[in-house]
Amino acid sequence: MTYFSISSTATDTGNRLYTLSNGRGMRVVISDHGATLISWWAPDRYGREADILLGYKTDEEYRANPAFFGGLIGRWGNRIANGRFSMDGVDYQIHRNENDNHLHGGEGGFHLMPWQVQPDPEGLRMTLVSPHGAAGFPGNVLTSVLYRLDDEGRLRIDYAATTDAPTPINLTSHGYFNLNGGVSDICDHILSIDADAYLQVDRTLIPERMAEVAGTPFDFRLPAPIGPRLAWPDAQLKVAGGFDHCYCLRQGESGAADGARGIQALREVATVYDPGSGRELTVSTTENGLQFYSGNFLRGVQGRGEQPYGIHHGFCLEAQAYPDQINSPDNPQREAVILRPGQVYSQSTVYRLSVRD
Amino acid sequence: MARVPTVHRIALLFNGNKIFDREIIAGIGEYLSSTRASWDLYLEEDFRCRLQGIERWQGHGIIAEYDDPATGEALSRVKLPVVAIGGSFADPAGYPQDRPYVATDNYKLIKLAYDHLIEAGLQNFACYSLPAAGVNRWAQERECAFEMLTQRDGIRGYIYRGVDTTPQSWDFSVEQQIAWLRSLPKPIGIIAVTDARARQLLQACLFAGIAVPEQVALIGIDNDPLARTLTRVPLSSVIQGTVEMGRTAAHLLHQMLHGARFPDTRILVPPVGINVLASTRHQANHHPHVMQAMHFIRQYACQGIKTEQVADYVGISRSSLEWYFRRELGRSVHDEILHFKLDAAKRLLAQAGSHAAEIAVSCGFTSVQYMHAVFKRELGCTPREYQEQQAAANDAPLPPAKRSRKKLAAIE
Repeated sequence: MTYFSISSTATDTGNRLYTLSNGRGMRVVISDHGATLISWWAPDRYGREADILLGYKTDEEYRANPAFFGGLIGRWGNRIANGRFSMDGVDYQIHRNENDNHLHGGEGGFHLMPWQVQPDPEGLRMTLVSPHGAAGFPGNVLTSVLYRLDDEGRLRIDYAATTDAPTPINLTSHGYFNLNGGVSDICDHILSIDADAYLQVDRTLIPERMAEVAGTPFDFRLPAPIGPRLAWPDAQLKVAGGFDHCYCLRQGESGAADGARGIQALREVATVYDPGSGRELTVSTTENGLQFYSGNFLRGVQGRGEQPYGIHHGFCLEAQAYPDQINSPDNPQREAVILRPGQVYSQSTVYRLSVRD
Repeated sequence: MARVPTVHRIALLFNGNKIFDREIIAGIGEYLSSTRASWDLYLEEDFRCRLQGIERWQGHGIIAEYDDPATGEALSRVKLPVVAIGGSFADPAGYPQDRPYVATDNYKLIKLAYDHLIEAGLQNFACYSLPAAGVNRWAQERECAFEMLTQRDGIRGYIYRGVDTTPQSWDFSVEQQIAWLRSLPKPIGIIAVTDARARQLLQACLFAGIAVPEQVALIGIDNDPLARTLTRVPLSSVIQGTVEMGRTAAHLLHQMLHGARFPDTRILVPPVGINVLASTRHQANHHPHVMQAMHFIRQYACQGIKTEQVADYVGISRSSLEWYFRRELGRSVHDEILHFKLDAAKRLLAQAGSHAAEIAVSCGFTSVQYMHAVFKRELGCTPREYQEQQAAANDAPLPPAKRSRKKLAAIE
């Protein structure tokens, strides 16, 4: 039997925090500001509870959320080179918010917007209308997200979006995890990612080429600790100051759900295990890309703990299309990330948290 | 060197009879099979023979285990690319110079075992090490890590190195182990520096009728399947990151064969897991509600918590929690809290210069009179009498090592 309950509390800035609970003593807290994952309380192998998500202390700090803690990212997750792209013969210049590049929706970022909570018998459903012209993107986009937590510790995120004019779209969830609950960094976490290739990036973190993971620190096809891999001498790690790269996930069975976008059936793509706490996170997704970020810019970020976060204090595994895919030289690749009127964008990603001895 | 050969001749200098070395070699193999690197591997079972004249060996590179200082000494004259493998050192001077070095993180191995014993509910800790020798500096590093952790937490850690085991000394060493085990406060959690060492101690426990894990909870390092199958009580163990060490060393050498040099690179590899088995299942199979409650009580008993707060923390009704406690532990939640407070007060009273009134407050008793009543009821003495007994007992030093030194001194 799947049991869940939702409760909500108001914050002093007028946002509401919604809590999903399951029968295993887990609680996931989500804000209607930015449809943001705030906390995920979960027991370790000793029954000890901790919040395995990074975040800010106050609601006020989420207003700008410069670290994108837990945010639902849209209309375009990750980067677009120079904030420029062409679609149907028209050139677009969108908001450039990371040097010359566009990042995570810019000033129209979904993680900065108030979402409307809709009654839903299955879980927490929220919707957002991103207006035509937001951050320079064309089309009014209606996005709906459904968060569900089940007794097996699965937090399932289902996204759906429609538009009234063609627009690039790439949605993702930007939770920063630390499976030990923050007692130390994530360098001892053991990671595996089901990908034979990843995207090498230039100095501004725009993908340049696809490369094999074999023989490089990026090879997580078999489980490996993150910290030692960060220490391997490697030009790509130097460029990004650690891992901040998109993996080209191995193809699963092609999903019938959305042939146009060429997305996959939901399949398991990554696992992270923390030997200290015994917590294990498994990621499943319908997406082709998985951005692995090792928290390279967390040093000095004041979160909800007493001390500011240090470098590599959290990691992100963001299921998404490839960064800058809207500028891919390959036409089908480009077309796959364009949402047109009459189509429905959909993606599902599941983060499953369990305990292993 | 005009032509770079496509096949490289690589020597692996390891002690292949240990699981640690074997898994590292497996990691090297894993790396090679994942890449296009083509290496002919030269692997001797008794690599000591190979050390003589190694500097004249016609190969391209070496990966060597540096546990034995003789290896580093012999390879210091070698001009070929060498990647060294071994254990981490608390003191940077312990590392070999001018060589990339891939190490198992000795501190983190011990910390994982130590944290596990703490979470299993233990409050006394010991480390079973090895007699110091040049070839087992890793054992001394693990011992140091244990000392650092116990000192950090203000806990007294007991360390025993035992004796080397040979057929002649076997009975003697078992007697010594049993004597040491008997001298320790119980229950106690013991970390052995290897599974092989843990196995010996486990056998001594069973021989002497000491219950594992109730009296002695025991954890080793290596997750050696052989040690596991040779023990009657399944042995918990920390799993080293050996495979990753092998991959890392192979990657470094791979780069070096193409001209890269990493004289100062040191890569420490943390443990990859812990295999929790019966030898540390100190709280045997308690219901999650009880474990969660116990965890809360362990942390907050001395702040004067009540059953209601424990039930709130667990998220079930007070009556349900009581039912679980009665069923699993045969006592009430209140009794459990009281025992934690009592134990904390006993520990503080045993320290010199402590006052009963302060202790009552810091241990969560509502008044010094109440603490007095609890002591009388549970221990049959007053806090002050308890303190005096402890002071008298403390005059005789507890650790066996010190005691034997004292005896020797008296004989001399």
